[in-house]
Order: sequence, then structure tokens, then C-alpha cells
Amino acid sequence: MSASQSAVRSRAEAVQVSRTFDWMILFTLFTAVLGGYHIHYMLTGGDWDFWTDWKDRRLWVTVAPIVSITFPAAVQACLWWRYRLPVGATLSVVALMIGEWINRYMNFWGWTYFPVNICFPSNLLPGAIVLDVILMLGNSMTLTAVVGGLAYGLLFYPGNWPVIAPLHVPVEYNGMMMTLADLQGYHYVRTGTPEYIRMVEKGTLRTFGKDVAPVSAFFSGFVSIIIYFLWHFFGRWFAKTDFIADDAS
Amino acid sequence: MKIIKDKVAKLSFVALLVAMTAAMFYAPTASAHGEKSQAAFMRMRTIHWFDLNWSKEEVPVNETMTISGKFLVFAGWPETVDKPEVSFLNVGIPGPVFIRAGSWIGGQLVPRSVSLELGEVYEFKVLLKARRPGDWHVHSMMNVQGGGPIIGPGKWVTITGSMSEFVNPVTTLTGQTINLENYALDNVYFWHAVWFAIAFAWLLFWIKRPLFVPRHIAVSTGKADSLISAGDKKIGMLFGVGTLVIVAASMGATNEKYPVTTPLQAGLLRGMKTYQMPEATVSVKVDDATYRVPGRAMQMTLTITNNGDSAVRLGEFNTAGVRFLDPAVHEDDTAYPDDLLAEEGLTVSDNSPLAPGETRTVEVTASDAAWEVYRLADLIYDPDSRFAGLLFFWDEKGNRQLVTVDAPLIPTFI
Repeated sequence: MSASQSAVRSRAEAVQVSRTFDWMILFTLFTAVLGGYHIHYMLTGGDWDFWTDWKDRRLWVTVAPIVSITFPAAVQACLWWRYRLPVGATLSVVALMIGEWINRYMNFWGWTYFPVNICFPSNLLPGAIVLDVILMLGNSMTLTAVVGGLAYGLLFYPGNWPVIAPLHVPVEYNGMMMTLADLQGYHYVRTGTPEYIRMVEKGTLRTFGKDVAPVSAFFSGFVSIIIYFLWHFFGRWFAKTDFIADDAS
Repeated sequence: MKIIKDKVAKLSFVALLVAMTAAMFYAPTASAHGEKSQAAFMRMRTIHWFDLNWSKEEVPVNETMTISGKFLVFAGWPETVDKPEVSFLNVGIPGPVFIRAGSWIGGQLVPRSVSLELGEVYEFKVLLKARRPGDWHVHSMMNVQGGGPIIGPGKWVTITGSMSEFVNPVTTLTGQTINLENYALDNVYFWHAVWFAIAFAWLLFWIKRPLFVPRHIAVSTGKADSLISAGDKKIGMLFGVGTLVIVAASMGATNEKYPVTTPLQAGLLRGMKTYQMPEATVSVKVDDATYRVPGRAMQMTLTITNNGDSAVRLGEFNTAGVRFLDPAVHEDDTAYPDDLLAEEGLTVSDNSPLAPGETRTVEVTASDAAWEVYRLADLIYDPDSRFAGLLFFWDEKGNRQLVTVDAPLIPTFI
């Protein structure tokens, strides 16, 4: 067979090869994003995502969306501008959360016996789905960054509230009031994570009374817009094919 | 030659596989906490733990035990370690093998960080409830912000029974009694499953169709718009609006189901109650101190003055949790861990009763393998080569006095 001859002999065979190629790329992309995004999120979100007694209404709400909108923006840039596939954010977050669940179940519970109800991951999926839908409908990076980024920040807390609310029920314990989440952190001993390391309920949002979560969510959304732009450009740069000869892109 | 090379390569590969497999199947339990690796000066000059008691050496699952005792926050706290202005009373155990059912300093519950004062003694107690069977090294421990964990003496405790029987009942302020061990777990799984299902549906909607090659060709040839149909947009709208509706509805339903919730509780506890030790009537001046490396012994020249009205004798030198005793004066009856107890490790050149008003200069030697085993001898490599510890004197009536010592230490190598 010469170099000019096709590797396939029929259209059906071409379609079959193309699908095989799809699954290979999809699997590779999924696992690569799972690994990279997971490391990134553990290093930047870390304890806020690990423990229920870190999931507060100020810093968790602020930090988690900002540091997690990164890979969705970058993968969207690649999959949308190269393939018109509006699944970059959802694919990234599904990969991340599968990796997190494996980690929490196998390591936190299976290895060190922390109950899963103290160390489950945050839910990032509602924001990711909305981010993909806005990109598909708007076909605009700017619109996705501004509207999608803001929505990603705003949806985070309400998207997680059904999961964490039961753990914010108060309890009186030896003369002190705390939430069940606080009690989990106190009961289940973490030798290397003393109480003072917890960064919760710190800040200057005191003039908003008890309603600080929406303010934190708005702030998180605004910063997410900037981070979206930044990582979207990372994704476009990373998806270039300059290394292939005769490719104009 | 090539055959030999091939065989070597093949055998090497097999050996590598065997080694990896063996490593996977043999993973010994890490039971201790690297306490011996902590810099000696940290253990000798920060928190001095004493009068420690582990209430049990064997405890069934769901039963409780306590670690109690006192600690002195050393006045000569090293400059290289942040002061204990933000500290947390912890326990050194390998993960949640016990749950911490309570911890108190001076009788006050301390689920939060506390501020400690240099030179003060505090009484503490930690209540532990057994959760996971095994033999565990259980330490007292103080985490200090900017200083790290300062681990105290540890003792082996055995937990018997089965972890599956462990329960952690808690009654909330809304009157509900729950088992915190698995509380709300079904709810966690349910909501994550719901959102995974929606996300997978969205992904499947797209990846069921030809993906990379044909779509890339279409985008490259300017036909990108043909890849998103009006039907796709309707489905997209459905997912987008559906997501917003589910988020809003689930939040509303949750607020109805849990009308009483509070924010996480945090803050620093100040003004912890101190423990008043009997006022010392003995004063001690360290004239010199040397550590004899080959002999695993520390020698101090002390000038001791008895300002009280009863004769006293030196019975114990305690540093970094290692207790050197003169059995003629004091014997331990608290089942203190053997490896930390040198029952005959303290010798005093003249330990006859020191009469009231008398001053005497004596040679005190604290010798035991613990210097080496607990790597306290590494003090000579520390940035601030000083030692510190607690001296305990007993009078004729059996009353005890505590005196701290803190002085430079000179190593001798011959």
C-alpha cells in the first residue's frame, strides 16, 4: 500500500474507524482531565472540598467555584472551537467528581476510615451544565464568560445546599452549640488538621447579617468570570496544532 | 550473547513485576506518628506533659477511655517556634480509630482553638470512644499555629470488637436523635446520583454521534454552524432551564425540611483556667550541663537551695516526656509507658535530704537508652543548643514540688 492510498476500503469502514478513534480520544481526554483537574482542585480547593466542617457560607462558596471553573473553561475552548462540542465543562466536572469519589471512597473511607458523610466532594455539576448550555446557545466566549461564569458562581451554593443542609442542623454538646458538621470535625480526629487551620466564617462581610452566602456567591461569580477568560485562553493555546506541519492554526 | 541479554531483560522484567506485586500485597500498618523525628528542642522546651494517665489499655468498640494529666507551657519557649497563642488540644492517633467524644482544659470544653500563656500549668482531659479495632499508639498532643504539632508521650491501647458495631448517637437541638456515623449519607448519595445522571444524559446526547474527525472536518471547512441543529438548541434549553428549576426546587424543599440551620461555629477561646501547682520553695541554679554522647547520659551540676520548712530530695527529672527517676525517692505506680520510663535513670551525687535553709551543689546524671531511642541526643544538632525539663522534689511528708530548669547544653564526645 502506498502512502497515497487510503487506510480504509469503504465508507462503513471509515465510519467504524472514526468511531473507534472517537472512543480512544474520549477515554484519553477523560482520564487526562480527571488527573490534571483533580490535582489542581486538591491543591487549590483542598480542605474546603474534603471536609464538611470547612463547607461554610463565606470562603467555601467563594473559593470552590473560582478554582474549579479553570479546567471547564479550557476544555470548552478546545472542544467548542475545534469540534463544536458543547460538553467541555460537563465532561471536565464529571471527570473531576468521579476522581474525587474514587479518592474519597477508597482513601478517606477505605484507607483511613473517615465516614463518607464527612468527606464527600462538593457538587459542581449544575454550574457545569449551565456553562455548556450557554456556550452552545450563545456561541460566544464573552457571553459564556460573563453570564456562564456568573451563573457558575451563583449556582454553587444552592446546588450543594440539599446535601449539606442536614449537617448544619445545630446540636448542643457539653454546653456548647455547634452544627453537626462541626461535631463531625471534632469527633473524627484529624491529627494533621487542627481546628485553627479551618478557614471558615472569616472575613468582613458583617454588615449583611446572616445572609452572607448570596454575597459570597456573587463575588465568586465575578471572579469566576475573570478566571474563565484566563483559562479559556489557556485552552485555546493548548489546543493549537502548530507542531503539525502545514497547519495554519 | 543476544540470547543472554534477552533472558536478562526478561528476568529483570519478571523480577520487577514480582517486586511490585509483593509491595502491593505487603503494606504494613503505620501505627506511630514519627514522634521521635520531631526536633528534640521542640519536645524539651515547649509543652511539658506530666501526671499523664491513660485510663485503659484495652477497650471494646463503643466504650470510652480518657487521657488526662497536666501540661506546662514552658516559659523558655524557643524563639524559632511561634508562641502558643493559637493552639488546639489534639490526640495523636492514626486517623479516627477513636472518636474524640470530649476534650477539656481546666474543665472547659475545647472543641476550638485556645490561647495559652507561657509559664502556666493547665490540667486537661480527652475522652475517647473506641471505633476501630487494633493496637494503636495514643498520644497527647498540642497543635500550635506556626509551630506545628507538639506530640506528647504515647501509650499502646488495644481496641477490641468490630467496627461495624460502632454507633455515634447525637441528639440535635431540633429533637432528633441521629447516628452521626452514617447520618444523611443516603441524602449525599441521592443528590450526587441525580446530578451525575443529568450530566451523563447531557454527555450521552452529544457523544452518541460521530465526534472528532467529521466534526473537525466540518469546522475546518467553515460548516461549523451545521453541527448544532435547532433541535440540539431546544434540548440544550431544556437542560439549562431544567438545571435551574431543579436547583431552585431542591433548595426550597431543603429549606422546608430543615427550617433550623446554623452556620459553622469557629473562634478562639481565651482565658483558659490555669492549674495552680503548690508554690515551689526549692530554687535550682544550673551551673553547667553536658551531654556525654557515648554514654547516653546527661550530667548537670545543680546548686539547690531549700527555702522551705521541710527537708527535700530530688526524685525525678522529666524532659520530652521521658521520666528519669531515683527509685530511692520516688517510684512510678501509674503504668507509665515502659519505653519512656527510666525507673533507675536518675542518680544524684548526694541525694540525702536537703534541710530547710541548706544549699548544696550536686552532680545529677540522667542516663538511659531513651536518649538515643527517642533521639533526644539529637539536641546537639539543634539551632539553639539548650535543654529544659522539670525537676520534681519530694519533702518528708510526700509533698511534691515542681521546678523547671533551662540552660545551655555542651556535648562531650570522649
